[in-house]
This record gives sequence, C-alpha cells and structure tokens, in this order.
Amino acid sequence: MAVNTFWYGCNMTRHGEIIRLSQRILEAVGVDAAPVGGPGACCGSPKESTPRIAEGMADRTMEKFSASGTPRIITWCPSCHANLDDFMGQTQEQNFDSRHLCEAIHEQRAQLAPLLTQTVKARIFVDRHVGFQGRVPVNDVIPELLGMIPGVSVVDHPYRAPSYMCFGLASVPGALADVQRTTLAAMRETGADTLVTIFHSCHREMIGLERDHGIRVVNWVHLLAEGMGIAYEDEYKAWRNAEDPLAMIGAERIAAAGEVAVKKLVMPELTRPRLV
Amino acid sequence: MGADQRMVAHEDWTSLRTAETARMLAACTRCGACFDACPMIPYAPDARGTDAQAAVAGVLDVLTGGAGDAAARNWISVCTRSGSCNEACPEAVNPMLMLRLAKWRANETGAIAKRDASETMSRVKVFARLSFTEAEQGKWL
Repeated sequence: MAVNTFWYGCNMTRHGEIIRLSQRILEAVGVDAAPVGGPGACCGSPKESTPRIAEGMADRTMEKFSASGTPRIITWCPSCHANLDDFMGQTQEQNFDSRHLCEAIHEQRAQLAPLLTQTVKARIFVDRHVGFQGRVPVNDVIPELLGMIPGVSVVDHPYRAPSYMCFGLASVPGALADVQRTTLAAMRETGADTLVTIFHSCHREMIGLERDHGIRVVNWVHLLAEGMGIAYEDEYKAWRNAEDPLAMIGAERIAAAGEVAVKKLVMPELTRPRLV
Repeated sequence: MGADQRMVAHEDWTSLRTAETARMLAACTRCGACFDACPMIPYAPDARGTDAQAAVAGVLDVLTGGAGDAAARNWISVCTRSGSCNEACPEAVNPMLMLRLAKWRANETGAIAKRDASETMSRVKVFARLSFTEAEQGKWL
C-alpha cells in the first residue's frame, strides 16, 4: 500500500536533519511518510515570474503525486501548500488529501504526549508571521505542540511579522532587518531565551542572530526532537555562524558536492552580511 | 484540504487567471481598504502616502496588462503575502491573490522586472549533495 508523502519542498535541501526528524517524529506518532522534494517535485513557486514554466513544473509534480497513489500529501513549505490549494489542485486531478506537517502531528498529539520524556529548559518565543495563519493555524498549533515538552515555556507576545515567512522580506530593503530588530526586542521584553522558527526560510534568516545576540535559535521540529530525546545536528546553522564555513563543511564533503558549485552557490549565502 | 477526487475547476493556469481576473474586476469596489491594511507599505517609497483608491486602480490596470503607475508597481513589488489585505477586504476579492496575479502579468509585460531565479535550483541541488546522504538523494529527490 502506498504511504503518505512528506513533501518537503525545494529549499529544504539545506536542512536534511529537519527532513529526517520530521519523518521520524511522524513515524513515532503512527504516520508513515516518505520524503519527496527538490527540483523534481516543485510547486512552481521559484519560477513564478515566468508563469508558464511554473505551471509546467507544478503539473509534473501533480502527475507524480497522483501516479504514486499516495493517500496524503503532508506539506512543509507554505509556498507549496498554498500553490497546491490555489493553483495545482484547481487545474489538475487530485486523488489525495493534504495536511501541513504541524497538523499531521497535532492530529496525533495523544500519541506524541507520552514520547515527550525529556526536559528541555527553554523560554521560547515563536517566530510567527501573519500570512499563512489563515490557511493553517501554525501560530496556534505549533506553540501548543511545543508547550507539551517538559520544561518549555512559551511566551505570549502580540507581535506578528509581516509576510508568510521570511523569504519575501529578505528582498525588500529594510523589511527583514526591522523584523529581526522587533523580534529581538520582543524576546527581551518577555525574557525569552530561545527563538523558535516555523519555516525553513525563517530559520535560514534567523540563525545568524544566535552568534551575536545571546539567544538560541532552533526550528520547532528540532525542539520536538529534543523533547523526544532524538539527537540531531543543525549543520546549516553551524556553517552560517562559523568563522570559516568551508573548513566547517570539510574538504571531503565539498569535493563530493562539487567545489566550484559550493564556492559559487553556497558560500555567498553562508557569508552574507548580518542585518542587525 | 481534504477534497479527494474533486472536480477540476479550471483547465489550466491561464484559464484560472482569466476567470480570477474577471471576478476581481467585478467584485472590487476600489475602496482602498486592502492598501490601508498592508504592512509592507512603509517599505514601498513610491506607494507610501499615495491615495489608497488610486493605488488599487493602478493594480487593476497592471492586472489587465497595463503599466499602472509607480505607486501600484511598487506596492505589487513589495507584496510578501501577509494576507492582511484579505482580512480587510469587505468584498472578499482576495487582494493578496490580486497582487500576486498582477505581479505575474507585470513580469510578462515587462512593467516589473523578473526576479532572477536562474541559480535557485542549482543551489537546491548542491545543498542536497552537502546535506543528504547518497541514499537519501536517490530516494528523496
């Protein structure tokens, strides 16, 4: 029988450990799901300035999902999730249902609760944006899940960042820096010591704050894993905050990934200026 | 979303865009509530301080293939899908989608330059080679 699909999107290839942890957490609460993503399972969003190309990519993904016989697509990325609802499912046959990852875990919270055996001492501020909440109540569901971890206290603050995740803000001059400054101020105000990101692009943009601002930055999946006693390593964060990312990655892995490609495509991202 | 085997509403994205554009043009009263609710206006120097109703009219012009004005193009460019406009809209126009479709149209007409995404997928692939095992690359990509 075909299993559920964990559609992690494309830019999550930076965070292999989040994909592994998501699959493991789902499995632990009784949901088998096979990860699928990358360029071969694209929602079209990265190419939407040329809609015909975006449509072609999205159509191929829908055909792939339908042919697989998967009963459920479990989404990670809010862009993929929205495109599935707004475009892909409006123009292609859809023989599966869909849930966001946090909903799929929340549905199984009775199974999750006894697995959260480890105390994680953290006063957390969740990086909440306004834009996705109307589709999936991530701003409520994820703090509720994290609040089930022994030792975690979720601070309450009214700030909600614009956009649906940090990705779009990065290309608007001044916007991401303002969000980071406001987030840090809200954390100080509430006494939070840990910033919890919801989406990958937010994680990518926020982890740089860990180096200079005396806070810890983790993704919500990382924190759930800690509560379950599952070990992981956030390599992207280590690379981003390293003095010498190439040395941190290591020559062998760089050679395996392609040295020219790493230097051209990865290094500018890891060494980009910090905004605050 | 849980609608298995539902009817396909549109033949393709072009027909979806055409239908949505017609619906928006008919439903929108150009009241400007969406513009007033947008949290990104402070980051749009050409749109800041402009008349909200004129800005909406400009977006509708771009949506239908026109050039719009600088305020409308700037507003469209800084949209990050906050969705605050949808909550503010009294006519359920879905201004967030309106701005997104206007951006697509503007990219096609040249009214707004396309975002350079030429290296996006190459970057996705090289990160996969760094972050995934060979077995994971075989199964997950």
